[in-house]
Amino acid sequence: MRTISRRDFLRLGAASTAVLAVESQFRPLARAAELLEGGRSVNRTSGLPRSFLPSTCTQCPAGCGIIGYVEESRLVKIGGNTKHISNAGTLCARGQAGINALYDPDRLLKPLKRTGARGQDSWVEIEWEEALAEVAQRMAAARSNPQSLLFLTEDVERDPLGRRFTHAYGSPNAIGSAGIHDANKKVATSLTWGAAGDIPDVARCKYVLVFGANPLENNPNFVGMARRFVDGIQQNQSKVVVFDVRLSHTTTFSHELHYVAPGKMALVALAMANVIMQDGLYDRDFIERWTNVSPEQLAQHLAQYSPERAEAEAGVSALDIRRLAAEFASTKPATTITDSVLSGFSNGVQNERAVMLLSIITGNIDNRGGLCMPRQYGLDEPAPAPPQPGVSVFTNPENVAFPSQQAVAQVLRQAKDRQAEVRVLMTHSVNPLYSSPDEGLNEDVLRDENVIPFHVAITPYLNETAAFADIIMPETTYMEDWEIEVRPSLEQVPFVALRQPVVPPLESARSFFEIARDLASRIGGGMEQFFAFNSVSDYLKARISSVGGLANAGGLDYLKQHGIWFDPKSRPNYGSYEAGGFSTPSGRIEVFSPRLAERGFAPLPSYETVQAFRELGERELVLTIYETALHTDGKTGNCMWLNEIQHDNPALINPETAARLGIEDGDKIKLIRSSKSGEAKERSIETEAFLTEGVHPDVIAMANGVGHTGFGRIAQGEKFKKDEVRHRELRDANFQLVWWGDHGGTGVNAKRIVPIEMDPIGGGQAWGDMVVSVAKD
Amino acid sequence: MTFSGAASNSRIELARAAQGIYSLLARIFGSLPTVRLVRSMREEQMLDSLAALGISFEADFLSVDEERLARELSREYTRLFTGPGTHIAAYESVYVRGEGETSPRLWGQATGEVAEFYRELGLEVPEGKTPDHLGLELEAMAVMTQAQADRLAAGDDAGAGRLAAMQERFCREHLLRWIPAVCRDVEQESDSSFYRSMASLAAGFVEMSCTGVISGNLPEEVA
Ligand code: SF4
Repeated sequence: MRTISRRDFLRLGAASTAVLAVESQFRPLARAAELLEGGRSVNRTSGLPRSFLPSTCTQCPAGCGIIGYVEESRLVKIGGNTKHISNAGTLCARGQAGINALYDPDRLLKPLKRTGARGQDSWVEIEWEEALAEVAQRMAAARSNPQSLLFLTEDVERDPLGRRFTHAYGSPNAIGSAGIHDANKKVATSLTWGAAGDIPDVARCKYVLVFGANPLENNPNFVGMARRFVDGIQQNQSKVVVFDVRLSHTTTFSHELHYVAPGKMALVALAMANVIMQDGLYDRDFIERWTNVSPEQLAQHLAQYSPERAEAEAGVSALDIRRLAAEFASTKPATTITDSVLSGFSNGVQNERAVMLLSIITGNIDNRGGLCMPRQYGLDEPAPAPPQPGVSVFTNPENVAFPSQQAVAQVLRQAKDRQAEVRVLMTHSVNPLYSSPDEGLNEDVLRDENVIPFHVAITPYLNETAAFADIIMPETTYMEDWEIEVRPSLEQVPFVALRQPVVPPLESARSFFEIARDLASRIGGGMEQFFAFNSVSDYLKARISSVGGLANAGGLDYLKQHGIWFDPKSRPNYGSYEAGGFSTPSGRIEVFSPRLAERGFAPLPSYETVQAFRELGERELVLTIYETALHTDGKTGNCMWLNEIQHDNPALINPETAARLGIEDGDKIKLIRSSKSGEAKERSIETEAFLTEGVHPDVIAMANGVGHTGFGRIAQGEKFKKDEVRHRELRDANFQLVWWGDHGGTGVNAKRIVPIEMDPIGGGQAWGDMVVSVAKD
Repeated sequence: MTFSGAASNSRIELARAAQGIYSLLARIFGSLPTVRLVRSMREEQMLDSLAALGISFEADFLSVDEERLARELSREYTRLFTGPGTHIAAYESVYVRGEGETSPRLWGQATGEVAEFYRELGLEVPEGKTPDHLGLELEAMAVMTQAQADRLAAGDDAGAGRLAAMQERFCREHLLRWIPAVCRDVEQESDSSFYRSMASLAAGFVEMSCTGVISGNLPEEVA
C-alpha cells in the first residue's frame, strides 16, 4: 500500500461509510450508550452507569478472583478477574450464581429470636441491640469456663476472625467442618513432606494419574485447576489416566478410565510402585538424597503388592498396571491428582501416601510439571495476638492420632457424650446439619438444651443448622464483606487477594467483623483489646503488614483496585526443598514415617483393608456420595440458577447390578444403612434408581449438594411470587419460574444415613466406608 | 490517533474517516460476506479510492455475478478462518504467546487482557464471541475513533485526548503485536484477491494509524 494523502484518506473513509450504510447492521461489540473510558461502564440495555470492583469468590474453597458489576447499588453480574493468578478470568457456575446468594429471597435481614421449642421454626424479629446484648450477656456469664465456647465454622484457615474471636474469649475450640472432606489428605502430606496439601502442576506435565479426583467438576482449587488440567491436555498433549468408581466429567477428557473397587485404589498405586521398583524405573538419586528409605528397602516392602493381587482385589488388570507403571515412570514430568474417592475412607491417609509414593520414587516432586508443595503467604495475626488457649477434647480427640483443627467431624457427638462442657455454641456460616454425617444424631444434640444450653448462629440464611439456634444474627454475604484471602498458588507464586464489598450491606445485615468487635467489647474482661480496631481497614492493614513488597505497591489501596497482588518479579521456585530440605523432623521426605510407627500405624505406605467391605452381602453396595460442579456442600443450595440445573440426585446403579437386584430404571428404591449390632434405629433414605454403565458394579452413587430440608424456599424447590418475598430488594420476578420442585423434587441428602466414622490417623470422615442394602420400595 | 496539528473541523473529519475504515475492515474480517457487501464493495467510489492507494482486485472479484461471488467468498472466508482443516486462527492469543504460556493458544493471556481493555472502555463482548478476534479488535478501534470524533464535535478536547490515548495504548499493546502477521498470513493463504487486498489494506492502515502517520500533519498530496 502506498503512503496515503489526506484527500485519499478522507475519500476512502467516505466510501467505507457508504458501504456500511447499505450493509445490514454490524455490531460485533455491544457498545455502551456512551463510551466512558477509564474505569466506568454503562449497561447496554438500560443505559445505566455501571461500576465494578474486584473481589474474591467464596462459593467454594478455591477463592477465585471476581469482578462485581453494580448498577445503582445493585449487583447485576459477577465476572472473572483476569488479573487473578489462579483463575485468570475464568469462573464456574457457582461463582456466577453468587448473585443468587446475595439476593436469596429468604435471606435474613433482621436478628431473630426463637419463640417456640428449639427447631420448631417459630421466631420473632428483634433489634440488633437486643440480640447483641443477650448474646454478650450469655457469653460473659459462661466465660468462667472459657473452654465451654464451641465455635463452628466452615474452615478455620479461611475464618481468621472467627479463630481470633474464639481465642480471645479463651477457648481453643474453633473447629472447621471442611476437614470432613480434606483432613486425610492434609495429614498424609504433612506427615510425608512437611506441608499440608499438594499442587499438581498439571498445566506443565506430560502424564497425569488421577486417583479418585475430579478436577473438571470439583476440586479444592476448582476452576484454576480445571483450566490447567485442560491446558495440559491441549498444550502439552499430556496423557490422562483416571482411576475412579464412576464416569465423571474428568474421565470424558481422559485417555483411559479404570474402575477400581471402592476403597482399594491404594492396591493399584502400590502395585505400580512395586513394578517401578522391581523394573529399575525409579529415580535412585532422588530417593537416596531426599527420602529416608533406600530403594532396596522400599522394593522389599512393596514386593507384597503384586499387580496380580491388585487385579484380584481391586479389579484393574495386572497387564494394565504394568503398562501404566512403565509409562508413568518413563514420561517426565508426570504428576498425580487425588481427592475424596481416594482419601475419604477409614484408610484414607494411607491411600494418599500410597499414591504420593509414585511421584516420590520417580523424582516428580516440586518440579516443573510434577507434584508441587503448596506456596502461600502466611499472614501475621494482627497485634496484639490473643494467647494460644491450648487444646481440648474437641481440638484433639483421643480417637485421632494426628488431629488438625479441621479434622473434627465428631464435636457434636462429643458434646452429647459430655466429653466436655459446652455452654455456648456459636455457628458461623456453617451448616453441619446438612453437611455432616449422621444428621439425625446432630439434630438431637442441637435440640437438647441440656447439651447445648445456648446456640447463636451468625449467618445470612435460615439453613438447617440455624434452624436450631436461639438467636440468629443476620450476617452479610461474601459480596458485602471484607477479608484478606490467601490460598495455595497454582503457579507456585504466592499471592494476597482481597474480598471487599461490591455492594453495601443490605438493610441491617452486619459483617462478622462488626459483630465480633461489638460482642468482644460487650463481653469485656480483656477480650475487647483484641478487637480494638478503629475500622475494618485497620484490621486488614494489620493482616497484610508482613507481606514484603505489597506495601510499596500501594498496600490495601492496591488490593482494592486490583483485587490481588503478587510480586511481579517472582518466578515459580521449583525445587524449593533443595535449599533447606523438607519441613519434616528428618528434613527428608518421610516415606518411612517414624511418627506413624510411634502411634502404632504402618510406617511405610500400605494398603489397609476397609473393615466395612469385608463381606458385601447379596443386596449390599458401597454408597459413594460424589460432588458435582454445581454445588458446594451445604453452601450453594439456595442459589436458584444452580438448582435449576442440578436439583435432584437419583441413585446411579450399574445395569448388571440392577438386573441382579431386580431393579429397573426409575424404580423407587430404599437405601438402608447396613446395621451394626447395637444400633438403635435403622436409618434409610428413599430415592429413584438411574441405571448407567457409568458406575462401578459394586457402587451405588448419589450426588451431593441437593436434598435440603431447610435453607429457604429456593433450596426446597418451592415456587412463589415476587410479592411473597418479604424484603423489597430481594424480589425477583423469576421466582415463579422455579419449576423443578413439582417435577421430580429436590433430591435427597444421602449423608443423613452415613455414620460418623473417621480415619484413625487423620480424622477425615470415612464417607466411602458406607455399605447400604438396596431394597425396592 | 492524534490530530494535533489540524484545525478542529478537519480533526473531526479525519477521525470519522478512520472510524469508517476501521468499521469496514471489522465488517470484512468479522463475519461472512453478503451480496450487499460485495455489491457495494464494487461501487466505483470504493474501487477508485482503493486504487488511489494502490489497492486493486482481480477478475475473480470484479467479473463474477454477485450472488455467486458472495457464495464463493463465504466459502473462502470459512476455509480461511474456520476450517475444517488447516486455517488461520485470527485471534491475538494465537499469534502472541503470553508470559508463562508454553505455546500460543485460544483464550490465552492476550484474550484476558483484551477483555479487560474492553471493560475499561465500557464495551461488552457479546456471548459466544472471543474478545481478541481480528474483527473485534478492529471494531474496538472503530468505536474509539467514533467516540473521539463525537467528543471533538462536542468541543470536549480532554475527552477526545483520553480516547486518543486509549487508542495509542490498544495499538501498542495489541494491534501492532499481531495484525501485520495475521494479514501477511491471509495474503499468503487466500485464493481470493478480495481477501488478499483487504488484508493488505488492513496491515497498511493499522500501521499508519497506529504509528501516527495519519495525523493532523497528513500531507495534502503525496507525490
Ligand atoms: S471455583 Fe467457582 S465457586 Fe469456587 S471460588 Fe472459583 S468461581 Fe467461586
